Amino acid sequence: MTGNSENRIRKKKEADFIILFATLTLVAIGIVMVFSASYYVLHERNDPYLHLRRQVMWAALGMAGMFFFSNVSYWKLKRWTNALLIFSFLLLLAVFVPGLGEEIYGAQRWIRIGGFTGQPSDLAKIALILFAAAYLARRDIRVNRFVEGPLPVMAVMVIFVAVILKQPDLGTAVAIAGTVMVIIFVAGMQLWQLFLIVLAALPAMAYLVFSESYRLQRWLSFLDPWADPLKTGYQVIQSLYAIGSGGLFGIGLGFGRQKMFYLPEPHSDFIYSVIGEELGFIGAVTILLLFFLLFWRGIKVALMAADGYGSLLATGITAMIALQTLMHVGVTTGSLPVTGINLPLISSGGSSLFFTLCSIGILLNISKYADR
Amino acid sequence: MNRQTLSNITVRKRLIFFFICIAALVFAFICRLGWLQLVHGQELREKAWEQWTRTNVARAQRGNIYDRNGELLAGSSASLSILARPGQIADKKKTAKELASILEMDENRLLELLGKEIDSVYLKRQMDEDVAQEIRKLNLEGVYFTPEPKRIYPHGRLASQLLGFVGTDEGLAGLEYQYEAELKGQDGRIELQTDAKGKRLPQGREVFFPPERGADLILTIDQKIQFILEREMDRVMLESQPKSIVALAMDPHTGEILGIAGKPDFDPNDYASYPQENWKLTPISNTFEPGSTFKLVTLSAALEEGHYNANEGFFCRGYAKVAGTTIGCWTRDRGGHGAIDFTQVVLGSCNPGFIELGERIGPDKLMEYVHAFGFGEKTGVDIAGESTGILFTPEQFGPVEAATTAFGQGVSCTPLQQAVAVSAMINGGYLVKPYIVKGLRDSEGNITEYGPQLIRQVVSAETSAEIRRIMELVVTEGSGKNAYIEGYRMGGKTGTAQKVGEGGRYIDGEHILSFIGFAPAEDPKILLYIAVDTPQVGPQWGSQVSAPMFRRMMESILQYLNIPPSTVAEETVPTIVEVPDLTGLSLDDHTYNLLETRGLLIRFIGSGETILNQTPKAGARVPLHTEVLVYLGGSGEEGEDKGVTVPDLQGKSMREAGEILNWLGLRINSTGTGVVVRQDPEAGTQVPAGSVVDVEFAVPGDE
Repeated sequence: MTGNSENRIRKKKEADFIILFATLTLVAIGIVMVFSASYYVLHERNDPYLHLRRQVMWAALGMAGMFFFSNVSYWKLKRWTNALLIFSFLLLLAVFVPGLGEEIYGAQRWIRIGGFTGQPSDLAKIALILFAAAYLARRDIRVNRFVEGPLPVMAVMVIFVAVILKQPDLGTAVAIAGTVMVIIFVAGMQLWQLFLIVLAALPAMAYLVFSESYRLQRWLSFLDPWADPLKTGYQVIQSLYAIGSGGLFGIGLGFGRQKMFYLPEPHSDFIYSVIGEELGFIGAVTILLLFFLLFWRGIKVALMAADGYGSLLATGITAMIALQTLMHVGVTTGSLPVTGINLPLISSGGSSLFFTLCSIGILLNISKYADR
Repeated sequence: MNRQTLSNITVRKRLIFFFICIAALVFAFICRLGWLQLVHGQELREKAWEQWTRTNVARAQRGNIYDRNGELLAGSSASLSILARPGQIADKKKTAKELASILEMDENRLLELLGKEIDSVYLKRQMDEDVAQEIRKLNLEGVYFTPEPKRIYPHGRLASQLLGFVGTDEGLAGLEYQYEAELKGQDGRIELQTDAKGKRLPQGREVFFPPERGADLILTIDQKIQFILEREMDRVMLESQPKSIVALAMDPHTGEILGIAGKPDFDPNDYASYPQENWKLTPISNTFEPGSTFKLVTLSAALEEGHYNANEGFFCRGYAKVAGTTIGCWTRDRGGHGAIDFTQVVLGSCNPGFIELGERIGPDKLMEYVHAFGFGEKTGVDIAGESTGILFTPEQFGPVEAATTAFGQGVSCTPLQQAVAVSAMINGGYLVKPYIVKGLRDSEGNITEYGPQLIRQVVSAETSAEIRRIMELVVTEGSGKNAYIEGYRMGGKTGTAQKVGEGGRYIDGEHILSFIGFAPAEDPKILLYIAVDTPQVGPQWGSQVSAPMFRRMMESILQYLNIPPSTVAEETVPTIVEVPDLTGLSLDDHTYNLLETRGLLIRFIGSGETILNQTPKAGARVPLHTEVLVYLGGSGEEGEDKGVTVPDLQGKSMREAGEILNWLGLRINSTGTGVVVRQDPEAGTQVPAGSVVDVEFAVPGDE
């Protein structure tokens, strides 16, 4: 790794094809699965193609974004990082502004601008990754000095996470915190410091879990969903029924039954359950492996990046996608407490898909300058 | 190399560590998927299948109950039950609130039902369609309807004790209970796969297991005869206010029960509003001491064994001495029947005469006959709740017991046992098993018929013919005249037995007034038995209460069955009789005997034990069954200053009304002519002696 300056023109190569392939395949699968998972419920509302249309539109917009960012050299992003960070933070606060924010299922995660609703946290994720990578890659920062490196980044992160928890959106908060911690970890934070941080974070985590009674129940329910099958265990059980009935080959695309009001949010928070039911073990594992391909190449890009900044940026983007994916799969397979989190690239959800694709665009751009 | 803040090596190491973590997690999740889908897939699939499959019960229609002519006695009407699937109701409070007003149920109770953690729960059973319609309009989630027929009894209280009733799910009393298995049928079900909102799945399986309708019950009961019985019973319940009445009509040849009822009864459409005692079929469950009607058993045995000679003389001193114990005749106070023959023993219901017959038969033989006629064991009728009755045990059965048994004391039986025994005496000697269910018609229309069952022959046809003749004499010449129907030949026997209370002691002033009779005498078609328990108003004497009741019932039944009057009347009853002098007599057995042997009825005015006056006067010639009004007094209970009770003068002639008021010390102010149509003050009003009663007369039909 030599130099990180913009003016040092490195030889541009082709973007990482495997990342592109995995991304496009997953987006395509996502469009199909969103339709399959949503049409029955939407049929009741007389518009079975609503989510399909939106998914196709956001996939198209997202791919345009991906194409754009894959062609903007990532160093240029540094210039906008602080502005984006502030802007995204303001957007996060905007969800609480009546008229802008929109409350769905008791949570204020969305804002409505024009005809579109989006989750500001999706933008905030990228902003924080850009900020953390840029900050920790600064020459005047010593990452092994806690106060110099990790502390400021973590302080910013905690502010963001606190606002997101207020929405409340525990899943996203955990994913963001995790992503930033991975960046700090990879950047070289002292392990004993990290250990102490984690130790200090435990009471905070415990407080979060026990402060809201519904979170505690959810937490307990995933351990033994059948203890209270109609209330707290309901979602886990429905997800397990879906995945379990898929068997090896699945019961066939479109033939799932659990999406028929049994599963909550089958097109987003529980789309992997629908995949498991309709496409079976083979389909579910194939999709998981496609994600794994993405993570592997993403980490490879981070390893080979032209500079520390690119390396940390690639790390952050990969970590963000990986953490969300693993959390989603963990929840739907009953391995983690239930928390609403999208499966990246697959779940319906315009802003999530759009910004994930944009961030993959950045990843692709980093790959163009990487050593191979 | 520029100065690096990031250590290349650290970054690489940590990235690889991060990758390994991710790889491990991905691997772990693949294992988890394999565990769920491949190892536990089958199990989870079955549970999911169970969840998708909903079973709705399709209730079988309960069989109907018909009388012998196909008249519907119990049927089922369409109604709906509402049930909820709590798991599908998001806003339980709102649902409970909205349903509460329509279902007229407590909101908290509904909320409690909706809060149950079960698949489905009934909110209300068997409601009308219009209520269901209102709920449908609300379009509530998780609320469903299922058809559930409701039992209806189109004739209301008619035969209620016999039919019983159905609770929400099953027959709880009477035939409904007894034939539950046959009537119920087989519930069916619909298994269908639905989404979580209960809507049928597009590719879901739907299987219908059709319910099998219950069998129809066809009874031996004739609804018209049942109606005639109950009409008269209701009337006597109202007029004489007895504690209870039982009545049953049967075909003495076949044992088919044509009508059976007890009062007070209940409305099976609203059974819960009546006391439980009213639910029992009293003609088969109540036991009582039969009294004089039981004398027929002794008579049959004596005839069969050749100990009865109609013309043989007998002297009744008013009592008999048996093993040192004196047993009285009802004529005891007047020195007994005196010198009579055995025909008179029967017609006069003479106790010493029957004791004599019993002694001639011998205690063991007599008991044999008592058993042979079916006493002391259940008749085997096809409805639950039958009592056995009580006889003396062989150890208890000494000479005194034999003597009292001979005239019907010290034993107890059910009305049905009594009716079945008399049937055997008059039908040629055959004891038959009584029955109520004539047939069962299953859902395909196949009929299983039940026929008469002969148990044994008890007496010969000759003895039976003789019994018929003697019982006919009772009506034409004896105490049964008040049961006589002009133009018909019929037989009967009155009974007036003191009620036995707890501990076997007789209860003073409480009597069972019974009458058993049949018509036509030459070929009995109907045997009718009536027992009235302790009338609170009017006479407590069989010939005065149960005999006229029998007459009214039998007359209607004969008319309904189109049984023509007998062409050759062997015994004729004079239709004009002379009124005896009753003044100065007390209301005792002798007085009643004077009236019953002439075929006259009595009606009281005032209270007391002594007859002070009467109308029509002694010696007047009046039609058979005329009511003689007697003015009672002399008990001293009603002081002069206490005033008098205004009598009911309705329908009385001007002369009668004047006389009655005169006895009572009241004055009359009459208007119009004819019979009394209006009076002031009303009957039952207490007025001071000497008050004026305004009485309005009119010619019947003029108004």
